[in-house]
Amino acid sequence: MSIESEIAREVGQLPAQRPAVTLKSAEFRRTREQSWVDLEKLIGITERKGVRALAPDDLQRMPQLYRSVLSSLSVARAIALDRALLLYLESLSLRAYLALYSPRIGLGEAGRQFLRAFPAAVISARWHLLIAFLAFAVGIGAGFWLTVEDESWFTTFVPPWLSGGRGVASTRASLLNGEIFAPWPGFAVSLGIISNYLFSHNTVVGILSFSLGLFAGVPTVLLIAYQGLMIGAFIALHYDRGLTVDFLGWLSIHGVTEISALLLFGAGGLVLAEKMLFPDRYSRVDSLALHGRRAAEIAVGAVMMLFVAAILEGEFRQLVASTPWRFVIAAATAVGWLTYLVLLRPRGRTP
Amino acid sequence: MTSTDATTQLLRRDWRQRREIITPEGVPLTVELAEFSERATALIIDLLICLAAGIAMLLALGLFVTTGLSGVVFVGVLMLLLFFLRNLYFVHFELSARGATPGKRAVGIRVIDRHGGPLTASAVIARNLTRELELFLPVSMLISALAGVAGAHWGSLLLLGWVVCFLVLMFSNRDRMRAGDLIAGTLVIVLPRQRLLNDLVEARARFVFTDRQLMAYGKRELQVLEDLLRRPGDGETQVLLADVCDRICRKIDWTQPVPPADTAPFLRDFYTAQRAFLEREQLFGRPRADKFAAAAKRE
Repeated sequence: MSIESEIAREVGQLPAQRPAVTLKSAEFRRTREQSWVDLEKLIGITERKGVRALAPDDLQRMPQLYRSVLSSLSVARAIALDRALLLYLESLSLRAYLALYSPRIGLGEAGRQFLRAFPAAVISARWHLLIAFLAFAVGIGAGFWLTVEDESWFTTFVPPWLSGGRGVASTRASLLNGEIFAPWPGFAVSLGIISNYLFSHNTVVGILSFSLGLFAGVPTVLLIAYQGLMIGAFIALHYDRGLTVDFLGWLSIHGVTEISALLLFGAGGLVLAEKMLFPDRYSRVDSLALHGRRAAEIAVGAVMMLFVAAILEGEFRQLVASTPWRFVIAAATAVGWLTYLVLLRPRGRTP
Repeated sequence: MTSTDATTQLLRRDWRQRREIITPEGVPLTVELAEFSERATALIIDLLICLAAGIAMLLALGLFVTTGLSGVVFVGVLMLLLFFLRNLYFVHFELSARGATPGKRAVGIRVIDRHGGPLTASAVIARNLTRELELFLPVSMLISALAGVAGAHWGSLLLLGWVVCFLVLMFSNRDRMRAGDLIAGTLVIVLPRQRLLNDLVEARARFVFTDRQLMAYGKRELQVLEDLLRRPGDGETQVLLADVCDRICRKIDWTQPVPPADTAPFLRDFYTAQRAFLEREQLFGRPRADKFAAAAKRE
């Protein structure tokens, strides 16, 4: 545009039959519009029927169109003042982003990924696991020592809804027949026992010790030590009646798995605690999000182990009415978990 | 921040909270957070589907095991079944190609990574299993306690407090994250639904404006005018258009009268000229946000 016409327009004297107005943004829209419409169509198919419904050519074009719409958006933000256009491009980019960056895997693949990730998560939390284990061991030691000295501690440590009628008044015979070698109640009822077991005490403790990690980990350690205290008290009760070995057999057939799960819950909680207290160079929330997945993987794995423990307790414990065989099964579970978690873990991945 | 924010808030009288994510390609995108009511609706729809499936499976199972099921055992088995069902359901749908559960799709919400990275499978799993800790397990245990499975004790109150704590957490943070979102680093957003509207630019202008006249307004006024021109042309809009036309004429000293029939063409021409002017100014590095910025520049 020449300077003269500029001046003429400034004074408002340009004749009415001036050339058609051309806007950069309108031109820009005209040249790019087709690719936006194409992308929108592809996204529509993906949103309604899934990515498998796309033809191979379209599948190949989609990422290219996505990049081009992102570039359109950036250009439009710089040159266009058409609000409807900006909103449309932003919305289209977001939809394309969602369509392209979603996980799109099946349950089986997710399960496999999880089974690979769980051992790595556990190994990376080995120090937290050690702390949980030490708290537990201290609990057992204290519980055992105190209860052996004076059995009235048992009622202090073990609340009545967990003792199941066992206590200071129990005799050797009642423990042996009512607990250790009690008959198997049948399939349906044992399913009920499994369910009861899962949705009762142990899960609460597991969840609590995991989530209370958010409170700097102190409640987690205390809770785990308290579990040790109770088990120590139980051991002392049976020790006084000469049933230590039989009780340990009865306990360990599912206890190896169950206690490992509890300790893992605790370790997960301690990971949360550490990342909250020492967020490194991130904000606390970001640090939690960054490492929270690992902690959650540990907790999910622990839930899985609780399931195994529930089946062992509900079905096998009372079916296998022999202490040596119970020890064999317990040892087998221990070896199994160790093999899976330590020996078979995927290598070469930084934790 | 993106350029559309202020006007969008003004025009839609929009109550939605916005956040910005950066795509892996480095482009910032604005997302709208989902409301609690939407999320609750989606959850209820999903749970009803799960419950229906669970009861159907239990009825099928009941054909095999008819006798000897006491109420306690029945509740126990139902819970076990629902536990598996809902977890597989949520994880399956959020990992599938469509990326959301039927409930979420019905409401039109989605889960995304908080910072705009790709949503990973482990985030989806972590997010959904934490829901177990936040809501389902405590509620299941409450039901068990009430049904007499676990024996009602002080724990029931504790469990209620537990659920309430997590609700408070969800309501009290800025991004409406529940504990699962916090741990998995996710956000729940509303799916965008913006259609491509036609361009309002009028190629053949009848009315011609001088730069001095166009300097009166800025981007914000332009976009308000755009919104007005896009309204359906009913009586109310006609009155509004006439009023706006009148105000613009006074502001820019447009001396010739604009007949009522020409109101809309006049405004469209003004919109076109104004946009051409402002876009050119923006390209030259002189963006005008609104009429106050425009006036200040002229002083």
